[in-house]
Amino acid sequence: MMFRSVSALVALAALAVAVAVPAHAGDHPVEQVKKTFSVPVLKAKVGDTVTFKNDDEFAHNVFSLSETQNFDLGSYKKGETRQLKLTNAGTIEVECAIHPEMKMKIEVSK
Amino acid sequence: MIAAALVLAAPVLADEAVAPLPRDTADAAVIRGSIAFRTYCVLCHGAEGKGDGRAAKMYTPRPANLTVSPFNDTYKEMIIRGGGASVGRSAFMPPWGDELTDEQIRDVVAFLRELRKTGK
Repeated sequence: MMFRSVSALVALAALAVAVAVPAHAGDHPVEQVKKTFSVPVLKAKVGDTVTFKNDDEFAHNVFSLSETQNFDLGSYKKGETRQLKLTNAGTIEVECAIHPEMKMKIEVSK
Repeated sequence: MIAAALVLAAPVLADEAVAPLPRDTADAAVIRGSIAFRTYCVLCHGAEGKGDGRAAKMYTPRPANLTVSPFNDTYKEMIIRGGGASVGRSAFMPPWGDELTDEQIRDVVAFLRELRKTGK
């Protein structure tokens, strides 16, 4: 009887913790390689981060003019990364200012 | 006979040596530069180079108004090649040295010279 009560308490405590702690925000790696984004359309959630890595021999940039979230992460060299935290739900069109043909989308849900 | 042939041929050779090829004229450089400008620079500097491109609102300071730029060709080439940070200016101006050829950079500078003259 006592054992059952303790088990129930432990289960309840675990459930409370699971409810109280928000789901861990995800990180989504995206490579910029051969003048393309490695993921053409990325699905993510508000609070997630996207890590852009330059895998080309030359500089890249990441920016967006989307209403959902606009930003410019600047220009960066081979091997370097830039991180973006997703703050709003909606679609973000991402571009590279140095290579106008490079484009991708991030679909951000709540 | 051979001498006569040389005399006849000489004026043609002289003309070819003096007249620049169409691609080497200043006008051709400006036209090529305008194409490169509208591909790579228009996003921030705007179609007329006034610093009012569609991305301009994101930046402080705003992108340069190139129709009134006080800088000489050498300095402009440095900014284009190495980016704004390389000369202590806005880091949002990317380095174009890896993307544009030397000729394209010279062409863009030629176009900017023309923009500065005409103001449009």
